[in-house]
Amino acid sequence: MNKFVKIAAATAIAMSGATAVMAQDEGLYIPNLSYRTGPFASTGIPLMNGQRDYVAMLNARDGGLNGVHLEFDECETGYSTEKGVECYEATKDQAIVTQPWSTGITLQVLPRTNVDEIPILAPGYGFSAMGDGSVFQWGFNMPSSYWDGASMILNEISGGDLSSLAGQKIAFLHLDHPYGKEPLPFLEAMAEANGFELLPIPVGLSEMQNQASQWLQIRRERPDYVVMWGWGAMNAGAISEAVKTGYPMDQFVGVWWSGHDADLAAVGADGTGYRSISWSAPQPDAPVMAAVREHVFEAGNSLASEEELNSVFYQRGLVISMILTEGIAAAQDHFGSATIDAAQLRWGLENVNITDERLAELGMSGMVAPFATSCSDHTGHSGGWMLRWDGDSFEVDSDHLSPDSETIRALEVSAAAEYAAANAPWPTASCE
Amino acid sequence: MLYRTAGQFKTSYKKDQALFPVRQDATLLALILGLAWIVFPFMASEFAFQTLLIPVLVYSLAALGLNILTGFAGQLSLGTGAFMGVGAYACYKMITIFPEMNLIVAVLLSGFFSSIVGVAFGLPSLRIKGFYLAIATLAAQFFLVWMFEKVGWLYNYSNTGAIQVPNIDMFGVAVAGPLASSVTKYYFVLFIVTVVTVVMINLTRGTQGRIWKATRDMDIAAELIGINLLKSKLTAFAVSSYVVGVSGALFVFLWRGAAEPNLFDISLSFRVLFIAIIGGLGSIMGNFLGAILIVALPVVLNILPELFGIEIASATVEHLNIMIIGSLIIFFLIIEPHGLARLWALIREKLIIWPFPH
Amino acid sequence: MEFLSKIFVDPFVDMVAYPDFFLQVLWEGLVSGILYSLIALGFVLIFRSSRIFNFAQGIMVVFAALTLVGLHEMGVPAWVSVALTLVVMFGLAFTIERVVLRPLVGQPDIILFMATIGITLFLIGFGELIFGGETKVMITEQLGIPTGRMRLDVFDGYISLEEKDLTAVAAAGTLVVGLLIFLNKTRMGRAIRALGDDHQAALSVGISLQTIWVLVWFVAGIIALVTGIAWGARANVSFALEIIAYKALPVLMLGGLESISGAIIGGLAIGLLEKLFELYWGQPLLGGNTETWFAYVLALIVLLFRPQGLFGEKIIERV
Repeated sequence: MNKFVKIAAATAIAMSGATAVMAQDEGLYIPNLSYRTGPFASTGIPLMNGQRDYVAMLNARDGGLNGVHLEFDECETGYSTEKGVECYEATKDQAIVTQPWSTGITLQVLPRTNVDEIPILAPGYGFSAMGDGSVFQWGFNMPSSYWDGASMILNEISGGDLSSLAGQKIAFLHLDHPYGKEPLPFLEAMAEANGFELLPIPVGLSEMQNQASQWLQIRRERPDYVVMWGWGAMNAGAISEAVKTGYPMDQFVGVWWSGHDADLAAVGADGTGYRSISWSAPQPDAPVMAAVREHVFEAGNSLASEEELNSVFYQRGLVISMILTEGIAAAQDHFGSATIDAAQLRWGLENVNITDERLAELGMSGMVAPFATSCSDHTGHSGGWMLRWDGDSFEVDSDHLSPDSETIRALEVSAAAEYAAANAPWPTASCE
Repeated sequence: MLYRTAGQFKTSYKKDQALFPVRQDATLLALILGLAWIVFPFMASEFAFQTLLIPVLVYSLAALGLNILTGFAGQLSLGTGAFMGVGAYACYKMITIFPEMNLIVAVLLSGFFSSIVGVAFGLPSLRIKGFYLAIATLAAQFFLVWMFEKVGWLYNYSNTGAIQVPNIDMFGVAVAGPLASSVTKYYFVLFIVTVVTVVMINLTRGTQGRIWKATRDMDIAAELIGINLLKSKLTAFAVSSYVVGVSGALFVFLWRGAAEPNLFDISLSFRVLFIAIIGGLGSIMGNFLGAILIVALPVVLNILPELFGIEIASATVEHLNIMIIGSLIIFFLIIEPHGLARLWALIREKLIIWPFPH
Repeated sequence: MEFLSKIFVDPFVDMVAYPDFFLQVLWEGLVSGILYSLIALGFVLIFRSSRIFNFAQGIMVVFAALTLVGLHEMGVPAWVSVALTLVVMFGLAFTIERVVLRPLVGQPDIILFMATIGITLFLIGFGELIFGGETKVMITEQLGIPTGRMRLDVFDGYISLEEKDLTAVAAAGTLVVGLLIFLNKTRMGRAIRALGDDHQAALSVGISLQTIWVLVWFVAGIIALVTGIAWGARANVSFALEIIAYKALPVLMLGGLESISGAIIGGLAIGLLEKLFELYWGQPLLGGNTETWFAYVLALIVLLFRPQGLFGEKIIERV
C-alpha cells in the first residue's frame, strides 16, 4: 500500500501546483518542447542539440545575454500532441516563449497563446499563415514559411520562369499529416496559374518505412519532378525507394526537413544529386562553430557527436536559438532591462533585424540569409539556398533564392482571415 | 470500524438489492462527489485542470463506453479511438453548420452518430468471436481515421486538414474554445460525465445489463434461455459507441481544442483499453480508478525527479516513464487481473470485518 | 457507366497494357508479403503453444535489429554480434517467461494480451534508453548481404529487383523450411505442436510447459531478428518499424490464429492484394494511402464467411 500513498501524495502535490518547483529565480526561462524519442527522433535530436548548444555557448562565453543567464530547458514530447500540451501547461507560467516543434502541437497551442500571452516561435514550421502578424499576434515562423519553401523550389526548378513549367507534371510526395498538407494550397494555386499538373501523393504515418506503392505510382506517372515534404523516418524511406526505382536524383527536391545528413548517409553515393531547399546552410568554418566547440563541445557539455557538428540540422539548431536570442536582445534593448517578460519578448521577436553585419558579428555569416520581421510580417521571408547531396555531405548549390513574396502575402492574408473568422471572436492588431 | 455494517438491517429483497446496501458507501460517494464538484475546482491550478482533472474525466467516460461493450457484453474492441473521432467530427460539423446550437445538445447528439457507425461495425460480431472480432473493430479503426484524412467535408476543407474548436458561448459564458476558462470546461465535462455515469449505472443494473452479462458469459447458453443475441450484441455496440462518441466530443471540444486525424489512431484505442482493464472489466467505478492511474502516473513521474532535485535529461525521464508504465501494467495484471475495482472490493470486504477478521 | 468502367475495366486494361509494371507491383507485393508472413509466424508459434496473442512481436523485431546494429557499432564483428543478439533474445525469452508469463498462467486471453502490450512499452523505453532514438543503418554489407540491383528487361519495359530483397526472400524461405523441419522432426518441435494441440494431454505426458515457453519465445526472437535484418536492410532501423506489428494482425486473422501455413499464405495474400488494390484502385479512385486499412477490411470480409480464418481450427461451441 505504501506505493499508493506515495503516488497519492505526489498527485496531491501536483494538483496544488507543483509547477512552482520549476520556478526560475534568476535568468530567462526558455523551454523547448523537444522530441528525442519516438518515430521522428532521428530528425529531432541534432536540431535539439544545436539549439541547446548555442544557448550553452552564450552562457559559458558571455555569461548569458546582456548579463542575464539563459535558462534553457527541454520538455520531452516524443512528437505527441498530448505530451506537448502537457509540456506547454507545465512551462507556461515561467516561460517567456514556447517552441512547440510540431505542427500538431502548434495547432493546439496557438489559440491559447492569445489568452496566455506567450509568443510561439516556430522557425520554418508551424502555419504559413502565421506570417500575417496582425492576425497571429503571438505566432512567429521566421525566417521562412512552408509556402516560401515551395515557392523557392518552383523558382529553382523552373529556372526562375514559372511559365516554363506549363504542361509538366510535378509529384508532391508528402506526409499525410497537417505538416505535409501545409504547402498544398500554394502549390495548387501555382499549378492553376502556370498550367503544370500537380500530383499529390500522400504517405501515411504507418507507411513511412514502406513506400513501395508511392514510388510505383511515381514510376507509372513519370512526373518531371518530385517535391517531397517528409519528416523523420519518411525521408530515408523515400530516398532509398527513389534510388531503387531509378528516379533521376536531380529531379528530386525536398523541403528543409528532408535534408538531413543521416537520411542520405544510408544511400551514400547513390543519392548524389538530391537537393533540399534550406533557409540555413552549414558553415563548418564559421567563428560561431569554433566558439561552440571551445565552450561547449570540448568542455564535455554537448550531447552531440563529433560528426554531427557539421551536419545541416545541428547548425540549423544553432540558427534557431540565435533567432530567439536576437529577439530577446532586441527586447532587452528596447525596454532597457535585462530581464524581460513574455509580452516584451513578443515585441522583440517582431523587431528582429538580422543583417549581414549582424551575422558577421555573431560569427554566423552565411548560415542564414538576412531578414527582418515587423508587426505585420512575422515570417521575414529570408529566402534560402538549394543544398545538394554530393554523396558525402550537403553543399550549397545555388545562389540565394527568394520566394514569390507577393503571391504568398496574398495567400497568407486570406488564410489568416479565414482562421480568424472560424475562431471568432479573434483579436487582431492594426499594424500602423 | 469505519465500515461497520452492524445495525443496518435489510428487511426486504428490494433493500438488499439497493444501489448502496451499506450506508458508508453512500457517504463515501457523497464525499468524492463533493471533492469533485466543490473542492477541486477551488484548489486546482491551470496545470492540474489541463493535465489531470479534465483528462481523467474524459478518459473515464471513454473507458466506461468501452467497458459496456467489452466488460459487460464481452465483445472485444480495439477501435475506441476511431469511434471517439466520429463523435468529435460529428460535434464539429454540427457546431459549424448550426453555430447557434447549444453545446450540451451538440455533445449529446454527436454520440448518436458514433452509435450508428458502431452498430455497422458491430454487425460482424454475430458471426465472429473472440480475438477474431478484434479485426472488425481494427478495420473500423484504420478505415475511419483514413476517412478523417480524406474527406475534406469533415474538416471544412481547412488547409491543414485539422479541426479547430471555435469559441462557443452558452448563456453568455464561454464554455469551449480558447476563451473559455478551465473551470467552466471542467464543470461542463463533470456535468456530462456525472449524468452519463448515473444513466449507465442504472442501465447495467437493470434488465439490459443482465442480458449483456449473460451474453458475455456464454452467448450460446444465453440464446438458449431466450435472449435475442442480435439485439443484445447490437444494443451493446450502440450504447457503448454512444458513450465513446460523447467522450470523443468532450475530448476535442472541452480539452484539446484542436485535433488532427491521427490523434484518433490506434494508440488512443489502446490507452482507453488499458484504462478499462487496469480499472476492472465489468465495473463502472473501475474506469475512474484506471483513468486516474493511467493519466496521473506519467504526469507525476515527470514531476518526481524535479521534486527530489535530481537532474535527468527530459528524454531520459520519458524513456524511464515508458518503461515504468509498461512494468506497472504487468505488475497490476499480476497482482489483480480483475483490476483496481476488484482491489477496492477486497479492501472494502476487509474493512467491513475489521478488526475482527473471523 | 463510366464510373463502373473505372472500377471494373480500366485497372485490368492497365495491367495488360503495361505488363512490366504489373510484374513489378507483384514483386513488391511479394517482398512485403514475405515480411508480413515472418512477423505473423512469430505470433502463430506463441499463440499455438500458449494461447497468448503476443503483441510484442513487432517491438521484438525492432529490439533485435537495434541490438545487432548497436553491438556492431561498439566494435563487435558483424557475425559475432549476430550470435550475441541471439543470446540477448534468449535472455529476453527467459525473463519474459519468468517474470511475466509464469505468474499469469491461466488468466483470460485478454489479460495476457494486455501483458504483452506492457512488455511492448517496456521494450520501447528500454531500447531507446540504451540505443537512443536515432535511425540506424542496418549493417547489410558487413553481414555479406549483396546490395546491388538487377534490371530485367521484359515486355518492352523493365523490372528492377533489389539483391537484398532476393536475399530476404531466400532467407525467409530457408527459415520457414527450417522451422517446419524443427517442428516435425525434432523432439522439442513435436512437444511444441503437442502443446498446441492439447494442453492437458501434453502436460500429462510430461512435457514441461516452462521449457517450451522459453523455447517458443526464443524461436520467435530468432524470427524477429531475421525480420529485423531483412526489413532494416530495406528501410533502416528505427522505432517507426514497430508499427509493422499492426500489419501482422490481419495476416493472422486471415490465415487463422493457429495455422503456420495460414500465416505464410495470409501474409503473401495480403502483401500482394494490398499493393494491387492500392496501385490499380486506391490511387486512381480513392486518393491513395489505402494500404493503411485494406488488409483489415479484407480480413474482415473473409472472416464473415469463415469465422476461424482460412486455415484456422473450426470453432466448436458447446454449452
